[in-house]
Amino acid sequence: MPASAANNRPEDLTARLGVGAGAAQGEALLKALREVKNQIIGNKTKKLLYLHLGAVPKIVSVLAAAGSASDDSGGISRGGDAAVIVQAAAAIGSFACGVEDGVRAVLDAGAVPHLTSILSHHDEKVVDAGARSLKMIFQSELAPKYDVLQEENLNFLLSLLDSDNENVTELAASIIAHSCETNEQQKALCDAGVLLRFVSLLGGSSNQKDGCLESIAAVIKNNTEVSSRFSCTGNGKALNALANLIQDRYPQTRLLACKCLIAVGHASPCYVEELQIKTKLVLVLVELLEEPGRVGNEAPFSLKTLIADDEELHKQALSVNAIEKLCSILQMSSVQARRLQGILLALAELCSKLEKCRCQLMSPQVLNLIVDALKHDCMDVRVAACNCIRNITRSLKNLSAGCLSSEAFIVRLVQLLHDPSTSVQIAALGALCNIVINCATRKSVLIKCGGVSQLVQLSKSMDSVLRSKSVLALRNLMFLADITDKEFILKELTLCTLASLIYDSECSIQEQALALISGLVDGCSQSVKHVFAQDSIILDAVMRQLQNASSIGVCIQGMFVLSNIAAGSESDKDTVMNYLVPPQTDSCIPSFTIKFLQSKDILLRVASLWCFVNLTDPASVGSSRRVARLQDAGIVLQLKSMLNDPCLDCKLRVRMILEQCMELETAQA
Amino acid sequence: MSKKVITREEWERKLKDVKISKKDMNKLVMNFLVTEGFVDAAEKFWIESGTEPDIDLATITDRMAVKKALQSGNVEDAIEKVNDLNPTILDTNPQLYFHLQQQRLIELIRSGNVEEALEFAQEELVPRGEENQNFLEELERTVALLAFDDVKNCPYGELLDVSQHLKTASELNAAILTSQSHEKDPKLPTLLKMLIWAQNQLDEKAVYPRINDITAAILEDPAV
Repeated sequence: MPASAANNRPEDLTARLGVGAGAAQGEALLKALREVKNQIIGNKTKKLLYLHLGAVPKIVSVLAAAGSASDDSGGISRGGDAAVIVQAAAAIGSFACGVEDGVRAVLDAGAVPHLTSILSHHDEKVVDAGARSLKMIFQSELAPKYDVLQEENLNFLLSLLDSDNENVTELAASIIAHSCETNEQQKALCDAGVLLRFVSLLGGSSNQKDGCLESIAAVIKNNTEVSSRFSCTGNGKALNALANLIQDRYPQTRLLACKCLIAVGHASPCYVEELQIKTKLVLVLVELLEEPGRVGNEAPFSLKTLIADDEELHKQALSVNAIEKLCSILQMSSVQARRLQGILLALAELCSKLEKCRCQLMSPQVLNLIVDALKHDCMDVRVAACNCIRNITRSLKNLSAGCLSSEAFIVRLVQLLHDPSTSVQIAALGALCNIVINCATRKSVLIKCGGVSQLVQLSKSMDSVLRSKSVLALRNLMFLADITDKEFILKELTLCTLASLIYDSECSIQEQALALISGLVDGCSQSVKHVFAQDSIILDAVMRQLQNASSIGVCIQGMFVLSNIAAGSESDKDTVMNYLVPPQTDSCIPSFTIKFLQSKDILLRVASLWCFVNLTDPASVGSSRRVARLQDAGIVLQLKSMLNDPCLDCKLRVRMILEQCMELETAQA
Repeated sequence: MSKKVITREEWERKLKDVKISKKDMNKLVMNFLVTEGFVDAAEKFWIESGTEPDIDLATITDRMAVKKALQSGNVEDAIEKVNDLNPTILDTNPQLYFHLQQQRLIELIRSGNVEEALEFAQEELVPRGEENQNFLEELERTVALLAFDDVKNCPYGELLDVSQHLKTASELNAAILTSQSHEKDPKLPTLLKMLIWAQNQLDEKAVYPRINDITAAILEDPAV
């Protein structure tokens, strides 16, 4: 009969719940509770309805009353009370299942202590009901956390773990997994023998196994001491148990066992070091990718975590056809968001190092699917798709071959620069940074679809990560761009903004800005004029940062800017010369020039040397003049001392400069 | 490519060499009875063969009561029983819950109670579709039944078949078994599948006496 039938209307039923006048008693109360319970189980709409009618506090009060009544009668429970408790507990558990408001209502009504107290009831059905409902509550983030550092809490949990009732031990495992946050708590649990107990419970039913595995992972997570102690337990008995479980008949158990071993491997690598076990984990996880439901959704995340940054494991994954499997799932219709995110992240990880992996993803079907994912409703999927593209485009071979030139990619990525989520913007920037290197077609697509103005906009963001990546993208865009594009970019960016980026609070951004200027003037005599425009605002900024020398990277990029300018006209060379070797004579203050030449950093020495290579170019009229100044300033002496520089590149540049100097001297003489 | 020919004599000789223990066979039978829920048969078999069931027979009784209620068309009773057994099952299996509600609607339609059916569809099934888009297609088909006078012979008439019942009953049975940490599939079908697969594989390489009818399990001489 539908709920709307006469006396089973929600309002009527709710009215009958509760304690005291107005509420039903005995059999009628039991019936009402049961009816409400049966209506709400599985039914989100009904749960919300009864929530709004205020059913939860009433049911909790019934539980409280019935629970204490059982106690009062000296442990001899009247059958009716037990039945009422069971129904009330079940209803409360159901309210807490899958409905956040329900969890809140249940917690606010103070259900947890009452449910906890019935765990020691002598009627097994009551214990089951209480344990199940509490387990449901503790699956929510909103549930309270047990401070296991408090002795009575810890003892309580230990008593639960000792129970014969599987629902109770599973509950204990659930609470521990939920509450275990700090290293101290993990240690306390380990000291109390909780991990040992879990290992022994691994011999139980599959539900119990799963609960224990989740808890073990939570107690071990990122805790080297606990993980090591666990791994040593019984001469590796515990680890063996886990290793066996990765081949359990149930996919869920296999996945959880893998997660456990991965956690051990992260926290105490020496215990999961052998390639053999890691290879097995790769194999198991790759197989689990095809499982339906939650297991298949979570498997790619675990795979990614396992192989992260490990080229050897990337190769293993490749050898068991991980990419094919991931791509085939990608090609299925209507993949759930979580699974899609996992697949894309796993693909991105695999493409992060190996060229072979990137090539495998170059098929039009796969690329189209990744482009589609760029406009997915779920933000996490969009980020994952961007990461995928960013890593695929690390392939110089594929970039050069003109793959990914299609407008769709770039236009989509530029659209994501406007995304409401910062994480998506950052991820899109990452992908664009790679894409715009080295290909005129792609650069012009980006420029045509308004990408530059958005990049400029982001370069003024308050968020330093956004600033940094957008400036990097602009730098890459500028690199080897043609003159028209260079001018366009600079016009959008404005000298003012560029100067302020050179003075940015973050060194890394200063570096990128300087590198951008390097790219601007590189091989392009017409572009050099911008450096002197507006009262040399840019050149001044460069010089000031060189003098501040806030970081090696900044100095390196600054010197490259100067060396690129010095590759230009006579007057450009003289300008640079004046900056590097100020025309004060008898100056006791060593200019930064000599300091840089003496730097321990190879690249800084190289960058500085290039300046002098260009300044002493024999083809230039004023070079001999400049060489004389270099001699006076002691720089030639410094260079001679570098003839045996340990770095080959430096040695060659030094030789080049000194040869040029000699050539100029001979010419003069 | 010529295939190897194996005569019946050779084949029977090879078969004779394969040893299978009675104990193993008994276990398989018990596993089948227990998983499918044949309590009385399982009890009798236990007594007669001495084979212990790997599950508490009491739990089977509960499970079978649920199945019986469902099969006699009393879906509401089945739901109440499964909620008594373990209230978390339907809460954590939305698809199963939807199918049970769907079955309720089908029973109302079958009994010709159109008004009540409409009310039920409105109040119980439509919200399921709203909560979860995956159910919409099936929901539409079921509700469409209400548009036809001759329900049994309409395009979606198969929903009224016993097969629909059995599907839902099987789904429910599996969910209960899983909640009890018991494997939801009996081993026997897997073995038979293995047999058929192995024969198919061998067909590509040899000609040999085949089992074509697994219920009869007779070796049939290969067609020449």
